[in-house]
Order: sequence, then C-alpha cells, then structure tokens
Amino acid sequence: MDIYKTVVIMLIEDDLGDLKLIRMSLREQRIANTPITATSAEEAINYLMRNKTSEIAPMPDLILLDLNMPGMGGKEFLRRIKSDPDLKTIPVVILTTSDSDKDILESFKLQAAGYIKKPVNITDFQEVMQTLTDYWFTICRHINYEPDRQVSKCSDC
Amino acid sequence: MENDGKQVCVLLVEDDPGDQKLIKTALMNQGCEINLTIASSGETAMDYLKMSAEDAVRYSRPSLILLDLNMPGMGGKAFLKKIKADEDLCSIPVVVVTTSDSETDIRECYASHAAGYIQKSAVPEEFRDVLKRLTRYWFSVSALIKS
Repeated sequence: MDIYKTVVIMLIEDDLGDLKLIRMSLREQRIANTPITATSAEEAINYLMRNKTSEIAPMPDLILLDLNMPGMGGKEFLRRIKSDPDLKTIPVVILTTSDSDKDILESFKLQAAGYIKKPVNITDFQEVMQTLTDYWFTICRHINYEPDRQVSKCSDC
Repeated sequence: MENDGKQVCVLLVEDDPGDQKLIKTALMNQGCEINLTIASSGETAMDYLKMSAEDAVRYSRPSLILLDLNMPGMGGKAFLKKIKADEDLCSIPVVVVTTSDSETDIRECYASHAAGYIQKSAVPEEFRDVLKRLTRYWFSVSALIKS
C-alpha cells in the first residue's frame, strides 16, 4: 500500500514573496507534497474547472487561499468552489494577512476549513505550516488519501 | 493564539462516554481556556444550539463542533447537513471524529462541508496524539469565531 502518496496542495497567492515562503515551508514538512501554484483566483478557477473530470491533471487534496488579490478575491473564489458539486469536497484553508472579524466570519460562512493569519517571520511560518500539514495530512482522512499517523517513519519523504 | 479575553466554546456531539472523557481531557490540556459542552446525541446538540440562539449568555455559541457519526437517533451526517443548511449556524466549523473509515462517509462529510474528517484510533495513546494535533490546529493556528 502506498501510504506515502504525495499530497497535492494548491496555493492561490498573488504575492510572490509569500508564495516563495509557503513553498519553502512546505518543502520542510515531513509529508511529501506537490504544490500547484496559481497567482490569481481566476487562474485557479480555470485550472479546477478544466481538470475536474480529467484523470491526468492532479486535483488538489487541499487549497490554501489568500483573500486579498486583484480581480476575483478569495471570498468569491471560495463561494464558487463551495457551490460546485464536483469541487466542494476540497477543503479550503484561508491564509491571509487580514485578521478582521468580518473576514473570519464571512470565510467560515462560505465554508472555509480554517482561517490562518500569515505569520510575519520565517520560523513562525514554518511552525504554522507544520501544524497545518500535521492536521490535514497526518490525522485527517481525505477522499483519496490514507494518512499515515506514524509520521516519524516518513522522515525520508 | 494570543489570549484576547474571549472564550473558545466547543460542542462535542458524542454518545460514547469513554470517547467523551478522552476528548474532554485532551481539550482541557490546552493552553487556552475552553468552555466545553457535551451532547450525547444529535437531537440534544440541536436543542442546545437552539437555546444558544435564544440566550447566548447562558448557552454559549460554539466556535467549533466535534461530531461523531454513528449515534442512535439523528446520526452525525444528518446533524451536519442540518447545521450547514441553517443560515445562522452554518459558519460554525464541524470536524467529524468517528470510527468509520468508509469512503462514502468521508465523501459525504466533505460534500456537507466538514472541516476535517478524523478516524478515531482504538489505541488510547494514539487517539490522544491525534487530538493533540487537532487542538493545536484549531486553537493555536486557526482563528475561530469566539463568543
């Protein structure tokens, strides 16, 4: 059984510095992961709509979504994903600089599966990504993914 | 998460007393103050949520719901669908914590907007470790709507 399946994480982020930081933090994790990157919500929607019935292009096991982006914002993206019968099963976690109560409430109302304020320094960022991947890929079950609770075994991932 | 003076309220919907105790202990060992309400059935949990809508001072509105699936009466999936169809309650994240590893259950729960699907471990030590990771994510990293 392939218990070390690579997980697919879609990053939707317009800030290239943040994108680099997220990718770098994900590389440090104990779980093998392949990030798909979109620098706008439109690009992400196009990818998901185009490939949702395809067996070749990977669909994400988890989406990390920035809120404040030019064009379609994160909340509109979330609204669309969660009303699509094929895409609504993908958990979407908000990763943003905003800590406004309104954004938190609206995001949960739109069925975000977590709301994380971006930490400002690299060490904190890595800790946050560790906790996030621990939760989503060590203990949570996914539709096509069997988690491995014995993460220590996965040190060579 | 920084202590902002607000309280995190958790509603645990679980009929098994042993699991109730394990989850309660894991939650109580967190750094932040948690107000835990335990409901032994989906019906009791719905009643509690109705009371909380009417009197939020006496019955705190939960910031997070931990939900078992297999319970007598209203099952976890019916409860989840009801919560997510309610305009007022749909913003509460619901994490499923169950013994079921059925692919149908996993798919249905995510389609009903569960914010995680966790399989209970039969080994208490392992289950405690799982709960530790769950609480770290929800109470240290993710923001929640507090009352």
